[in-house]
Amino acid sequence: MRWQWEIKPESAWFEWNWKEIWNYRHLLLRLIRRDFLTQYQQTLLGPAWVVIQPLVTVLLYVIIFDRVVGISTNETPPTLFYLSGIIVWNLFAESFSGTVYTFTANAPLFAKVYFPRLIIPFSVTASHIIRFFIQFMLFAGFYVYNLYSGTVTFNLAYCILAIPLAIVVSAGLGLGSGLALSVFLAKYRDLTNLIQLTIRLLMFATPVIYPLSIVPDKIKAVMLYNPLVPVIEFFRMAFLGQGTVSGVQLAYSIVSVMVIFLAGSILFNKMGSKLIDVV
Amino acid sequence: MTNDPIIQVENLSKLYRLGTIGTGSLRQDVQRWWYQTILRKEDPFFKVASDKGTSADFLWALRDINFEIKEGEAFAIIGRNGAGKSTLLKILSKVIRPTQGVVRGRGRINSLLEIGTGFHDELTGRENIYLNGHFLGMTRSEIKSKFDEIVDFSGVEQFIDTPVKRYSSGMYVRLAFAVAAHLEPDILVVDEVLAVGDAEFQKKCLGKMNDASKKEGRTILFVSHNMQAVNNLCHRAMLLQKGAMLKIGAVDKVVNHYLSGIQQHMLSQQWPDTETAPGNATIRVTSVQLTPHLEDTLRPIDVRTELTLTFEFWNYEEGINLVTGIHLFTQSSECIFDVSSKPQVYSKGLIKGTCSIPGNFLNDGSYYISIIFVKDTSTEVFYLSECIAFDVEDFRENTNWYGKWMGHVRPNFPVILTPLPALP
Repeated sequence: MRWQWEIKPESAWFEWNWKEIWNYRHLLLRLIRRDFLTQYQQTLLGPAWVVIQPLVTVLLYVIIFDRVVGISTNETPPTLFYLSGIIVWNLFAESFSGTVYTFTANAPLFAKVYFPRLIIPFSVTASHIIRFFIQFMLFAGFYVYNLYSGTVTFNLAYCILAIPLAIVVSAGLGLGSGLALSVFLAKYRDLTNLIQLTIRLLMFATPVIYPLSIVPDKIKAVMLYNPLVPVIEFFRMAFLGQGTVSGVQLAYSIVSVMVIFLAGSILFNKMGSKLIDVV
Repeated sequence: MTNDPIIQVENLSKLYRLGTIGTGSLRQDVQRWWYQTILRKEDPFFKVASDKGTSADFLWALRDINFEIKEGEAFAIIGRNGAGKSTLLKILSKVIRPTQGVVRGRGRINSLLEIGTGFHDELTGRENIYLNGHFLGMTRSEIKSKFDEIVDFSGVEQFIDTPVKRYSSGMYVRLAFAVAAHLEPDILVVDEVLAVGDAEFQKKCLGKMNDASKKEGRTILFVSHNMQAVNNLCHRAMLLQKGAMLKIGAVDKVVNHYLSGIQQHMLSQQWPDTETAPGNATIRVTSVQLTPHLEDTLRPIDVRTELTLTFEFWNYEEGINLVTGIHLFTQSSECIFDVSSKPQVYSKGLIKGTCSIPGNFLNDGSYYISIIFVKDTSTEVFYLSECIAFDVEDFRENTNWYGKWMGHVRPNFPVILTPLPALP
């Protein structure tokens, strides 16, 4: 007679139980469904908010940064320029802030029932990837209009590459860093304020409302440590024909995001089962 | 029931750090990390706690627990509040990790530390059945195949597509329990929180657990304060006290041990020194004693037990016309009865009094007794208040109902129903 499972004081650093996560896939899908069903419950406009939010943001940016401040968008239509930056940035920022509070937001649930804890951040990120697709449709709408009026040119091969790249890097970075920080946030609550502030500042250090080409070389070298920078530039290069990015920079983005994701999920797995005593 | 163990618990301990975790803990964490990872020494905080046994900042919620549960067994964990029952269940449910020791097991384990885990107020009953089911580890096909049964059991068919926030609290609980009741694990872990709600609901819960254990042969781990339910449902039990295992074995033995342990031991008092004995110049009480008539002295006093009160006192007044009265109170100071001896004239000397309280008279609860001494039928000589305190435990046979029995007394008067001939 053999034992099938064991509960020990510590889990190993590299205890990957993908099979268990796979067994709970229905829960993951159900949680994504719950996110969409509950978010727009009792709202007048319902799911339309997924596109209204970026639409209003773009409108504001066009008025403030384009008309009032006059930041260059490198001859591309400002609407498309801002929208492309916003949707890629949003995917990162939303995945990050959705996963970083995993422990604090789900403490009552985690205290009552066991399931692989990674399911929760995975489901949050998956919901935001779906929202990204919806917002991309909005972008595509504006894009087709601009194609007809001849203000943009595109590179099909780049476009096909740019979409998965944007998703993997933005969502991966948001999820990975969210997982890692959620562990610390569960213990040290003062990080909450710091995180909000950092995210807001980080947006201005990322070429969302300006092209990388107008940034002085010295600052550019520092900015390029941010894995999001090459991806946003590449996304714009693919769809708008304007962007400064190299293959090496893109490779750096992918590798660094993979490292952050792995580190984040290992830390999350290792600490996750112990944190319930602390939260 | 087979003889193979399905769960094996070895040297299980859980240490909790008490006090506010916050500003101080970062320093402690860094220190701990420094000791463990860089210096490769023992955790300094952990050592403090294990050396001194109990430290002000640390608490052993569980300490060196060892036991095995056999396949198909219904096993109860009992103990007072804070004994570590819930901590043990949480470790077995993988919600928290032990500090030391290991648990090994076979088969699928499901725990119900709460019903309706993960219910979302905005979602419909239908959505919540799936969500809750998945949280409890059911697959989609399992839920699908049992969906109609679950809805039937809950009795909320009509409202299945209404958000649960519109449900009455009763409907909510019924739906939540219906999902839980249709789990089919090899091992079911149930916390006493399940026994909330009205009597009918409790009966349904316990009935369902009874079925799972006796008809379906599942292994059940059950935590409860309801000793009647434990006695009826379980084969074996474990008694925990302050994190340590006090007793393990057949359920009735462990339950009796627990009950006689928590019963108040003010069953007798003696004052051999007449100078300090309670009383005055007229009366000095030397002893009071309540003797339960039990066949097995290890058993607790229950509702069937006959009790005899005996007391002795010195009378210093020649030719006193004396009456003694026995007052029996509930814990909340309501007087249940006041019985007294017949007025009679006594000479100086030692006097013994007895009073019998028949079995099947008091309801379960906590009681205390006071004795009053009255001269000439109207003048109070002495009042010996609260000299005896005792608990009466519940006992029921042939009933599936475990709710609180009403009333302070529980006499065995027959209630007879006679069918009448139908009216023409």
